[in-house]
Amino acid sequence: MKQSNPIFKRSMAIFGLLALFACAIVFKIFQIQVLEGTKWKEKAKSQSAAYKNIDAVRGNIYADDGSLLATSVPIYEVRMDLKTEALTDEIFEANVDSLAESLSGLFKDRTPFEWKIRLTEARERGDRYHLIQRKVRYNELKALRQFPIFKRGRYKGGLIYLQQNKREKPFKVLAARTIGYTREGIKPVGLEGAYNKELSGVSGKRLMQKIAGGVWMPLNDENEIEPIDGADLYTTLDINIQDVAEKALERQLSMHQADHGCVVLMEVETGEVKAIANLSRTKRGEYYEIYNYAVGESTEPGSTFKLAPYMAAIEDGYIDLTDSIDTERGKFKFYDTYMYDSHEGGFGKISVQRAFEVSSNIAVAKIINENYGKNPQAFIDHLYKIGLNTPLGLEIYGEGSPQIKSTSSKSWSGITLPWMSHGYEVAMTPLQILTLYNAVGNNGRMVKPRFVREVGRMGKVQKEFEPSVLNEKICSDRTLTKLKAMLEGVVENGTARNLKNAHFKIAGKTGTAQIANDKYGYKYKSKVSYQASFVGYFPAEKPKYSCIVVVNAPSRNVYYGNLVAGPIFKEIADKVYATSIDIHDEIQSVDIAGRIKIPVSKNSYTKDLETVFNSLNIPYVLRSADGTWARTITQAEEVEVYRQKVLSGMVPNVQGMNIQDALFILENHGLQVEIQGSGMVKKQSLKAGQKFNQGQHIRIELS
Amino acid sequence: MHSFIDQYFKGDRAIWLIAFFLCIASLLLVYSSISTLAYKYHGGNTVFYLVRHGFFLLAGLGIMFLIHRLRYSYFSRISQLMLYISIPLLLITLVMGSNINDASRWLEIPVINQTFQTSDLAKLALITYVARMLSVKQDVIHDFNQGVLPILIPVFVVCALIFPANFSTAALLFGSSFILMFLGGVRIKHLGAIVGGVLLMIMLSFFVAKSAPQLFPRMGTWISRIENFNEPNKDGNYQVEQSKIAIANGGIARLAPGKSIQRNFLPHPYSDFIFAIVVEEYGMLGGILILALYMLLFIRVLRIVKQCKQTFGAYLVLGITFMLVFQALVNMAVAVNLFPVTGQPLPLVSMGGTSTWFTCIGLGIVLSVSAHLKEEPADEDSKIGKNVMMEPAS
Repeated sequence: MKQSNPIFKRSMAIFGLLALFACAIVFKIFQIQVLEGTKWKEKAKSQSAAYKNIDAVRGNIYADDGSLLATSVPIYEVRMDLKTEALTDEIFEANVDSLAESLSGLFKDRTPFEWKIRLTEARERGDRYHLIQRKVRYNELKALRQFPIFKRGRYKGGLIYLQQNKREKPFKVLAARTIGYTREGIKPVGLEGAYNKELSGVSGKRLMQKIAGGVWMPLNDENEIEPIDGADLYTTLDINIQDVAEKALERQLSMHQADHGCVVLMEVETGEVKAIANLSRTKRGEYYEIYNYAVGESTEPGSTFKLAPYMAAIEDGYIDLTDSIDTERGKFKFYDTYMYDSHEGGFGKISVQRAFEVSSNIAVAKIINENYGKNPQAFIDHLYKIGLNTPLGLEIYGEGSPQIKSTSSKSWSGITLPWMSHGYEVAMTPLQILTLYNAVGNNGRMVKPRFVREVGRMGKVQKEFEPSVLNEKICSDRTLTKLKAMLEGVVENGTARNLKNAHFKIAGKTGTAQIANDKYGYKYKSKVSYQASFVGYFPAEKPKYSCIVVVNAPSRNVYYGNLVAGPIFKEIADKVYATSIDIHDEIQSVDIAGRIKIPVSKNSYTKDLETVFNSLNIPYVLRSADGTWARTITQAEEVEVYRQKVLSGMVPNVQGMNIQDALFILENHGLQVEIQGSGMVKKQSLKAGQKFNQGQHIRIELS
Repeated sequence: MHSFIDQYFKGDRAIWLIAFFLCIASLLLVYSSISTLAYKYHGGNTVFYLVRHGFFLLAGLGIMFLIHRLRYSYFSRISQLMLYISIPLLLITLVMGSNINDASRWLEIPVINQTFQTSDLAKLALITYVARMLSVKQDVIHDFNQGVLPILIPVFVVCALIFPANFSTAALLFGSSFILMFLGGVRIKHLGAIVGGVLLMIMLSFFVAKSAPQLFPRMGTWISRIENFNEPNKDGNYQVEQSKIAIANGGIARLAPGKSIQRNFLPHPYSDFIFAIVVEEYGMLGGILILALYMLLFIRVLRIVKQCKQTFGAYLVLGITFMLVFQALVNMAVAVNLFPVTGQPLPLVSMGGTSTWFTCIGLGIVLSVSAHLKEEPADEDSKIGKNVMMEPAS
């Protein structure tokens, strides 16, 4: 090839240009490194951008029917970069009016003119992080993103938003302490605390730059690392039972002006906690969920503990139900201290079963003292074998430790054994006591109380919790049968006769303990303070639920377990029994039908009425052609069911219905309902059959 | 061993070495700078990206090997076909391609679910086509209507199709075609007229964009980038500032692989701003080494041109190499703030997925030309080429 090759010559020229270009690049590196080096290195030190954590959306906590117990609602802080590169004067000026209009329409706190002034001034100031609004809800943000200018996005429209999450409990006080909460720097509270890791998810990262005034502004439109939202918690809590429990407890606490109290309802077989209510009295005399007494408060249980010594003595063959025991005249001296029975004058000679039913302290103390007096450790070991001295190992933080001292303990004295046998010098939490009674109801199988069924995300199960067994068999079946008879006896003939119920049997035990207060011993505010409790299970023949009620320091001179705690137990049991069809006995319907009394029924959904009448064997006749809702008239021999149609645009007749049905019909029909009173609908403000407009108000009076 | 290499690896040995070296540098740099992206999409699994990128490089080298074994005269024919394919593809991409930052640049290949930038294909096709046309029209190259216009029209069409979505690539491609035409012997006064016409058209399109912005959604970004470049102290120039900090951190000489701090602050540290990472981790000398490799590539190509018996081969290697080296220099110029911010990756070094493959195809073609230098007959026998030696000296 000749040197005169024109391609080659021109190529060399191009190479020259490229080389020049390359030299310029090298020079620029040199300039940045050497000539401006210190400046950039300084800048690097004060590097104003950093990765900031963005919290993931916390998972929800659900009740067993899927109701939300706790949820995170995202709220946003909305800001605007008014000097973003691509937001030119023309675009800004052309759209600022409509943007101001939209903002004013959305937030309704400023006029469009005020918004315009604010935005224009902020732009003149060169504000790159102008606060538009805090606490913006998600649907508002969605609307905001469609506004003029804002719809251009982060870079072209300057819309910046930061997400925060607000935790809300839709049922407010219900099980509030058990649901719990998390806050930085505190010990975990409730399930929120226990499952914090699962619920909180993985936080993401966002590149933020520190700008004038020390505020951090996101640099990019999206998060650099998207957070992974937390998993949801599916609890065992039943929101309806919880509601009943909480209300019953509150009513009884305020009636007795008690200091605090708690209720736990558990499913016998699985240990699933269906309701757990803890209420404390505030200075103003109101009750709130402030402390989880059921989980955390380890106190001397008093008489409810007696089940354990009886279990030991029967299992070890020392006594039988029919054995006779002398409870003396209600007063008996152990070593140097007198023990009293609550019944003035004593019970005299009674059977072992009777002693348990009337809750004689002297009886159980004598039984234990006589049979284990020579070897107290055998008794203690028996209690240990049942598992009474080990904590349940709840996931909720702060479980109170059970205290059952051994004979080697320093504080062991001559009266420890008799005192321990009726629930003093030992300490247990309400939930630990309940677990023992639950085990008896569950044929000796001691299951751990549990609050959570599964952890999942978006309907997918991540972790399932199986019932966990603490003790496969706490005692023999023979002993169990005897203990069950004793517990049933308490309600049938003993201290809890006021709980007796025609429909189903309750088995349980009352407890009335004097409270040992740290400062005052057994005297609180110079008065003796009491803890009233009732624990048991129902229906006694085929236990489905167990429940404990503990009321502390009732201050109106009524302090017996059966009178203070019993009614709460009964109310909850009645409600639970009434709503759980699966535990009903079939005898029930025969019973009612046998009486041939035709019950009065509320007007309701026709099919429901038919189901109820059929299953209860109540004779009824269907009148009028057809219709989803029905009016009933109770006759001497049968119920007449008048079916009626609900026509759209016409006010339906809801008189004689209960509130749920009336609300359902009226609101589905497009009426705004106002309610007065409670009970059955007596009056409705709009006449049935008259025409109405959508959204019109109707007032219904109930009585 | 030697005989094995001799047997299978044809073409310029130095170009092979440059390609290998750049691939190794690429692996190191991408692995270092990928952390942000890895955290964003794969929970911090940087190895995922290393493996993926490694696969792309390895496959790229494979493609390069296959291509270099082909006779380069095939590319002349194929170029026409490829050009006809890429024009409708560009159109489709423009209308319905996947949209990143308002820029429709990517098209998904249906079966393998891999997106690729249609402009990558069009770039290669057009350069090859221009090289072919230059050698075909060599006799009439001094005539504007007969020689220049038939080359100019496809150049305009392709560039105009790339332009709305990707200004810098269109400019780069037009520049490369223009340089290639200069090398091909187009008269200076014709070239001057083309420059004038292009300037006029750019002014016109800016005017259209201002009055009807929806036609050019990217216009706002370009204008702001250029404005920012002219006002270096404006606070919006975040990327450039971060890049400069990276370069200053590096110092003259440094060996700190994987120790970059600025990768956390730079947007796209694994592609657009990878050169800043080079300097931060390996100092100015490291940067110069990478720069020198590209320059060396061009020097090697000059050697090939010198030995080339056919004009097509010479134009082909010059066009491809110029475009590649020029793109590399533009990328570096952006990192050192010599140029306003554009989205050009550093060829072979940046993590680019399929775009790496197109670079490899280009290098494969260059190697093919160098491999077949001795076998090729002089241009008389060929239908498409004209003998360089027979060219009248201009």
